[in-house]
Parts: sequence; C-alpha cells; structure tokens
Amino acid sequence: MAEGGRKSDSHVLDNGAKIAVIGGGPTGSFFSIFALKMAKMIDMDLEITIFEQKDFSQKGPGGCNRCGGVISELLVQTLAVEGINLPDSVIRKGINSYNLHTDQGDVYIATPSLDKSIATVHRGGGPRGVTETEKESFDNFLLGQAVKEGAAHSPAKIDGVERKNGRPRLFSKGQEMGEFDLVVGAFGLTSPTAKLFEEVGFGYRRPGMITAAMGEVALEREIISEYFGNSIHLFLLPMKDIKFAAIIPKDNYVTVCILGKNVTGKVVDDFIAHPKVRAVLPDSVPVKLSCRCFPRMNVGAPKKPFSDRMVMCGDAGSTRLFKDGIGAAYIMGKAAAKTVVFEGVGSDHFQKYYYPVYRDIVIDNLYGRFLFTVTDLYRKNSVFCRGMLSVVKSEQKRADSTKVLSSILWDMFTGNERYKSVFQRTLDVKMNMEQVKNMMKILAGRGHG
Amino acid sequence: MVDGELGRVYSDGEVIFKEGDRGEEMFVIQSGRVKITKTTSSGDMEIAILESGEIFGEMALFDKLSRSATAKALGEARVLSIDKRKLFTSISRDPMMVFNILQAMSRRIRSLNEDLKKLRQEKLDAAKVCLSEDEVCALVLGKAKNMVPADNGSIMLIDEESHGLSIKAAFGTESDRKVKLTIGEGIAGNVLKTGRAEMINNVSTDGRFLAGELKIQSIICVPLVWRSYNLGVMNVSSSAEKVFTIDDLKLLDGLAMYAAIAIQNARVFANLSVITERFIDDASSLDIS
Repeated sequence: MAEGGRKSDSHVLDNGAKIAVIGGGPTGSFFSIFALKMAKMIDMDLEITIFEQKDFSQKGPGGCNRCGGVISELLVQTLAVEGINLPDSVIRKGINSYNLHTDQGDVYIATPSLDKSIATVHRGGGPRGVTETEKESFDNFLLGQAVKEGAAHSPAKIDGVERKNGRPRLFSKGQEMGEFDLVVGAFGLTSPTAKLFEEVGFGYRRPGMITAAMGEVALEREIISEYFGNSIHLFLLPMKDIKFAAIIPKDNYVTVCILGKNVTGKVVDDFIAHPKVRAVLPDSVPVKLSCRCFPRMNVGAPKKPFSDRMVMCGDAGSTRLFKDGIGAAYIMGKAAAKTVVFEGVGSDHFQKYYYPVYRDIVIDNLYGRFLFTVTDLYRKNSVFCRGMLSVVKSEQKRADSTKVLSSILWDMFTGNERYKSVFQRTLDVKMNMEQVKNMMKILAGRGHG
Repeated sequence: MVDGELGRVYSDGEVIFKEGDRGEEMFVIQSGRVKITKTTSSGDMEIAILESGEIFGEMALFDKLSRSATAKALGEARVLSIDKRKLFTSISRDPMMVFNILQAMSRRIRSLNEDLKKLRQEKLDAAKVCLSEDEVCALVLGKAKNMVPADNGSIMLIDEESHGLSIKAAFGTESDRKVKLTIGEGIAGNVLKTGRAEMINNVSTDGRFLAGELKIQSIICVPLVWRSYNLGVMNVSSSAEKVFTIDDLKLLDGLAMYAAIAIQNARVFANLSVITERFIDDASSLDIS
C-alpha cells in the first residue's frame, strides 16, 4: 500500500497484498501453501482467498475432482521433504509394485526397496454410495493445509472477472468479491471460469483436451488385498481408442482409469469385458461399472498463461501428459508462488521466472508424446511386445540394479520421472540390443514354427 | 498398523540404519517414534527421540560421511525412505525444497547448543562443590591436626599402580613425601592390612616401627575404610611420649570414617568429570544422521 492509502501500481507485492485463487484443487492449494510459507520467510503478510464452491468431503461426483488419484513416489517423497506428510486418513492404499498386462503376457515390476512409496487417494469424499466416514479426501486435506497456513476458503462461485485500473476484480452472482493484487487461475478445464479468463482479453485460451474414463468398483477390502495386494495393474492392450488403462486399488474400491482418444461408454464396457481384464478382476465384478465418469484431460498448453496480476496454473495452464497431474500441480503451484512472493506479479516477472518452469513441462510433454507413440507400437505389435516382456522378466530376476527397461516402464507409468529423463534411458544400447536379440529369436521361432 | 499406509514398518528395536553405515537415503517418520543413539566410550548414548513427521538421516547425504549415529524404531514405527539420487535431482530443480531440511537441521543445532550449554553449566556447578582427592586429604588432615596434639601427620593412600602406600597429604616437620610402604610394612602398613586403628605411645618398644629422620615417640594410625575397601591410613605422631589418649584415637577413627567417604566421592567425581568431558566432546561433534 502506498502512502495516503492509495494502492501502489508496483507489480512487487507489499504487506497485506490480496490474492484470489480460483479453484481449491491441488494447484490452488499448493500455490496458497507455498506462497504463504515463502511470505512468512520474509515477514510478508499475504491475504489469500481460495474460491472453491465444491465441497471435497462430499461423497459422489459432487465432491470429486475426477482423476485416477495416484500420488507418484517422487511426489510422496517430495511432499514429505516439504513437511507435507500424507496422513493415513487420506491414503487409501500404499503401492509398491506394478503389474503390466499385455496380450502377449504379463510382467511384475516392484520398487527396488519394496517400500510402499506410491499413494492412492480419492479426490473427493469417495464414490457414489460410499458409507465409510473415517477417510478424508486428498483435495480436502490439501485445502485444509492451505487454510491452516493462513488462507481463507470461500465457497462463492466466481462468475465474473474484469480489470479496473490495472487490477483484477472478481464477481459472484453479480456481487463484487473485491479487487485483488493477483488472481491465480487454478480451475479445472471444464469449469465455466476458463471462459471468463478467455474473455478478459490477454490472450488466454484453454488447452487442448481429450476425454478419459474413470470408474469405481466397490469390493471387499479382503478381496482387494487378495487380488491386487499393493500393486497397480496396467494394461497395454491392442484395443482401438485405448492408449493404456489402469486398475488402481483403493481400500474398499478399485478405480478403473482409461486413457485414450475420446473414450466412450462402449470403450469402457469393451475394456472391462476383455479377457485380460477379467482375469485380474474377481468374478463378482459386474461387467458394467455402477459409478463412472468421463473427465476431460489437458493434452496441450495455452500459449499465454499469464498477464499482469493474472497467472494460470495446473490444468488451466500446462500439466504432465497423461500422468502425474497432481505432481504437475505441485510444480506449477510452487513456481507461481515463488515468482509472486520473491519477484512480482507483472507479466514480465511471470515471463522471466514462471514461464521457464511452465515451458519445461510443455517441452517434457513432447518427449512424453514420443514415448507414448513408441508404447503404442509395442502395444500393437506382438513381436515388439514379447521382446520387451522377455527383457523385463530377465531384469526382474537379476539381483543387480541395472534394470533399465524396468525402470523406464516404472517411471513412465508411475509418472515418477520426467519424460525427458525416461527418453534418455531408452537410448541405452545394451538394453536395446537385448530387446532386438529377443525379437530376432521370436521371429526365428515363428519362421520355424 | 493397518495395511495400505506409506513407507516401511519397523518393529520395536529394529535398526533403520547403523552408525558407520554408508548413507544412501534420508527418512521421514510417518508414524511412531525413532530413537537415535551414538556409541561412546561409556556405552550407547541416546541423542534424540524423533516423532512422526520428523526428518532424519539427512546429514550423511550432505556431508558424504558415514552415519554418525544409529537409528532404531522405538515401538512400532513406519518410515518413508527418500533416495539420495532422487532427492538431489529434485533439489537441483527446485533449491527451495531444501528449506524444510535446513529448518530441521537448524532446530537440531539449536537444541544441541542448548544441551551443550546445560552440560557445561552442570560441569561448572559440580566443580564448585566437589574437591579433588588431594584437596580432601589436605582438608581432613587439617581437621585432625586441630583435634589432637600432634606434631606431624599424614594421609597415605594405596597407589593403584604399585599397590603400596604413598603420602597424599602431610603436615608438621618437613617430612619425606616420597616415603612408600608396602601393605603390612611398618605400623601404617600393618594397620592397613588389619583394618584396625592403633595408638602407640612409645614406638621404640614396637618392632614394626620403621625409624626415619623424624623423632617420633607416640603415634596414632587409623585405617581409611570405605565399605569393605581399605583406601589407606591416616597417621598423626608426636615427638613426646604418651601424648595421645583413647579419646584422641576414637576421634580420629570417627574422622577417618567420614574421610574415607569423602575420598571415595572425590574419586567418583573425578571419573564423572572424565566421562562428562568425553560426553561434551562427543556432543560437540555429533550429528543426527
């Protein structure tokens, strides 16, 4: 605040600066948590209000942020180092392994330490019809952490954004919610709020999207332990419209998650009915899932994710392709918080300090696209697929730590590493030679066959 | 402990890492408690009890040295390990990640400084009220001098190395401080051996007496006994005959009882001082990793 009570035009925040965060999902919460922590480091008071009309403790679709709900090993560890320990009440299952299923065979890939280092969570209060009450939703926990840190939570739905004297103003049901020094867009892709920001006129456009499918299956805890243990089941099947799919155990539910191009109800039904999937699921599971949704997924990135006093994060900006959306929310939320607290809220500040992190994710997703294209090749070609499986199987039997292909698959499907790093490992000559050798053997076997 | 939680469960007393191990990972306690101990010359020393949410084992990752302490589960504890390579990759991408670790390390350094300050203060306080063995002997002999009409006196204690008696304190005519007696030798050596106080008012008639440069006619010699251990003897003598009375003997024997306790306490304190010194030295160089 400048002298005489007049607000400063400076893009560097002062004590008492007002920040509005639109969206109380992981991105909005991470931004708020870190902005408040960092501001405290330099004795700065920030007034952060998170606008989120959804009640994440609510059961069923109303409280759900519709996602697979897997917190990667890297993110679990990073959050622990940051002092954000996921409590038992939030974690539905600790995961220590993956089972990869293909039409050519299956392979089991475990964490080297056998620690349960991946967490599965529910984003809302639980699927439709859930009765247990002792568990908490991940989004609700994180929003609670932001509030503990000092943020205010408002359930008001923002339906108007405009600029006046260079500052953003927000409205809800025709009522002005205030003038802010910064507005952080941390909303979902299908939220009408996205359109409001497109209309502000700084060049923001929603990123490209695809439709995915999520389904929840209620099962007894004992059945889940027996059939799934602490393992996520991944499916790379030669099915049209499905890039890959996963069945994720969560306490007394399993989440079926299908990624592809515009997945429909029929695609979901076909997947569930596939013999490879049926072999994993207990016989008691109905072919049609009782609870399912078709969320839109970000597969692109807006060219202009910021302007003076406005910045877009998470799904509203760029996120990681197909994987680790919550990890991307952490990276982007924190990068925005650092810029805002230590640098400023001007377009030039975001360009210099926030955009490089944003661009890294965009570039990394290009490596991801390439890797998923290669994965498609393996998924569709039986020789490639069998060659890969035989290498992974022999790696898993080895006691040494040189399990290159296993680590590639692990990091690729757990979202544990950046795609660029995974890509670099795919260039390993020895591993590729081993695959080629196995493929040649398979081809030779066919020839004689 | 229910299934499905993060990390690895360690049972009570199970070692998470040992002192001297190579540090490849740091840890965050998810639930339960972890005890950190350090091996010292006087046994295992507890450094800290860590609670849920606390970080440990991080310093070995930063200073590249082996673990300087042992971490064990105290009761059942669930601990998440964080791989060194992944941690440093993450820190290189986002150096602010290290802030929380720095905060934890700062808290620990502050706590260690406080402990160190307390230890030093306690050592100073103890030093003020405790005397050394030599000081106790001189003090006791001063009291004895005021109690009986003696010209000379000495306290002789068993030398642990030679197992003989050597003078620790003396008063009167310049005496030979280097006099050493073996157990059973002379009147003093005999009193030490029997553990019985003696008063001899004419030493020339006592065949055990070993004559020296000093002219001695009368002598009282009392043993210094702590519990069942003979620590030494206290002698007072006079150049005149029949100077001492039976009351003098009783007084000195009573004084000898308290003198023996004081000497033993001085020895215990001396040992404690050594241990404290080592503890402070260890504490000054320890870290919780």
